[in-house]
Amino acid sequence: MMDTILLLALNGLIWGLIIALIALGLSIIFGLLDIINVAHGDFFMVGTVLTWYVLQETGLFWPAFILVPVIGFVLGALIQRSIIQPIRNAAALSIVATFGLSLILQELVRMIFGATPRRILPPIQGTIPIFGIEYEIYRILAAALSVAALIAFFLFLQYTKIGTWMRAVRHDRETAIAMGIPAQRIFILTFGIGFALAAFGGVVAAPITTVDFRGGVDLLPFCFMAVIIGGLGNLPGTAAAAILLALLEGVIQSFADPTVARISSLVLMSAVLMLRPQGLFRGLAK
Amino acid sequence: MIRTFVERFLLVAFAAFLVSVPWVVPVIANKFWVSVIAEILIWSIFAASVNLLFGYVGLLSFGQALFFGFGMYGVGIGIDQLHLSFWSAFAFGVSAAMAMALITGIFAVRLTWHYFAIITIVFSLIFYFLAVRLKPLTGGDDGINFSLPPVFSFGATRYSLTDQTFQYFFILAIFAICFYLMYLVTRSPLGRAFLAIRENDLRASLIGLNVYVLRLIAFVMAGFLAGVSGALFAFFGRYASATYMFYHVSGDGVVWAIVGGAGTLFGPVVGTTLFIFIRELVSTHWEHHSLIVGVMAILVVMLAPKGLVGLWREGLSRIGEQKTSSELNAKARLRSQP
Repeated sequence: MMDTILLLALNGLIWGLIIALIALGLSIIFGLLDIINVAHGDFFMVGTVLTWYVLQETGLFWPAFILVPVIGFVLGALIQRSIIQPIRNAAALSIVATFGLSLILQELVRMIFGATPRRILPPIQGTIPIFGIEYEIYRILAAALSVAALIAFFLFLQYTKIGTWMRAVRHDRETAIAMGIPAQRIFILTFGIGFALAAFGGVVAAPITTVDFRGGVDLLPFCFMAVIIGGLGNLPGTAAAAILLALLEGVIQSFADPTVARISSLVLMSAVLMLRPQGLFRGLAK
Repeated sequence: MIRTFVERFLLVAFAAFLVSVPWVVPVIANKFWVSVIAEILIWSIFAASVNLLFGYVGLLSFGQALFFGFGMYGVGIGIDQLHLSFWSAFAFGVSAAMAMALITGIFAVRLTWHYFAIITIVFSLIFYFLAVRLKPLTGGDDGINFSLPPVFSFGATRYSLTDQTFQYFFILAIFAICFYLMYLVTRSPLGRAFLAIRENDLRASLIGLNVYVLRLIAFVMAGFLAGVSGALFAFFGRYASATYMFYHVSGDGVVWAIVGGAGTLFGPVVGTTLFIFIRELVSTHWEHHSLIVGVMAILVVMLAPKGLVGLWREGLSRIGEQKTSSELNAKARLRSQP
């Protein structure tokens, strides 16, 4: 019994790290562009599908870690420029436009890739003993890569010029523009980075989950939960909430079925929305 | 002037067409399209429920499928397990949807904007997962099938929805009642109060409107409309399933209402008709009709944020303006002549 709980908790933790990557993109897009991106789960799904194609074309898994986020970044930038930019004046309707985008992405993938879910074998096989259980090596690598990407993202935001600009635009758009920050380019960049993060999450998760055109649909509510429980626009809070939620669902899953686990985290999320709409962690960090 | 005249004419023509559908459509197309039109009428009521909240009160709900599902399951469970008669099952479904709207509304309407959209998704997801889980009661994704009790029975003569023409007129009657009610609400002081909240909720509260209670009333009314459409859809398909409670169904309703024109009485009908026609026409040849839905949703938000009805009205008023301005010019020219 203890072993099952540990196993599911570890699985949950790793999913939490991957979801943190996706939810961070969702959160910066909301923070900077004021857009609820319903298509964000599909960005992750596109990442898993691209990974499958990289594997088909090159026969290797490793290039996907570089190629897929780069493609994701370009796609994100293009989407921002062609769809999100023109609707800036109708912010209330942005959720409708991203819903349309989500339909388009899912349908395109279904058309090109097909409707059959496929599996990808992890590039490293085998298990190692951890805390007395045999655990897959790839999952540990996945956790390490996600943590590395999270750290890289926060370092980028904190210590580079563009990262500082992004924070400035989020903090006060008008002043930032008055100070000469090219807000337009920052918006494009932000959307690109958001897509790239989700796509990277897709690469990391591809061998753990299935590659399916509906892969993002189940994930999206979870990412929203992380963003909201962490506090809209609070990036470290979002990452923490993602890890916490997934860990919690993992533990609940060890004694109840996954649906019950999902329902309980949804109920938790509604409670947070009602009682602390600014997020659980506001006031702790500052 | 020109607008009211043209629109009144269109409305009469539309009503005349709807009444003649069971005789005309099988002649010009085939019988299949009668049931497509019946389905359009049902989903139009659903889109109207999104429209009532977003177009008139300014709350964008992504969770109306929850109330659609309650209407649907109220009828399904009412007939299949509680062995209710037709009308009591109908009432059971609609009241279940309204009760649910009241309960979730108490919490949801405390929030606005993005938060409101998200909490409505969350509530509908909770009950979607519950419906999937409670398989013995709901049948989960597979749903429950049931057979219909008669609608009216006078002695030996029975009217049941199994008669296609009767079914069509039954749906049309409910559709007409719902839109007439909606028309009455938008004309009433209550409707004006809704608009005041949509335009500026702070000012509305300062002139003495109870914004919270009014939003809750609108939410329950929208729950009523979604519940009616869900109950009708259950009668129409003799079927209830958890898949209709997923947030994609809510999203469809939002797209239909906004593409047609939020804040107008018949915008949702236009949007729903357009998309269901596209679906029915395209899906037999090409299975990727969702692409068209997605592209159209984006194009409308980009080019015509007021929807097709908004676009049409802008066009009409432009024609009207041109006419009046050319008349004025002509008069001015006449006057300037010695």
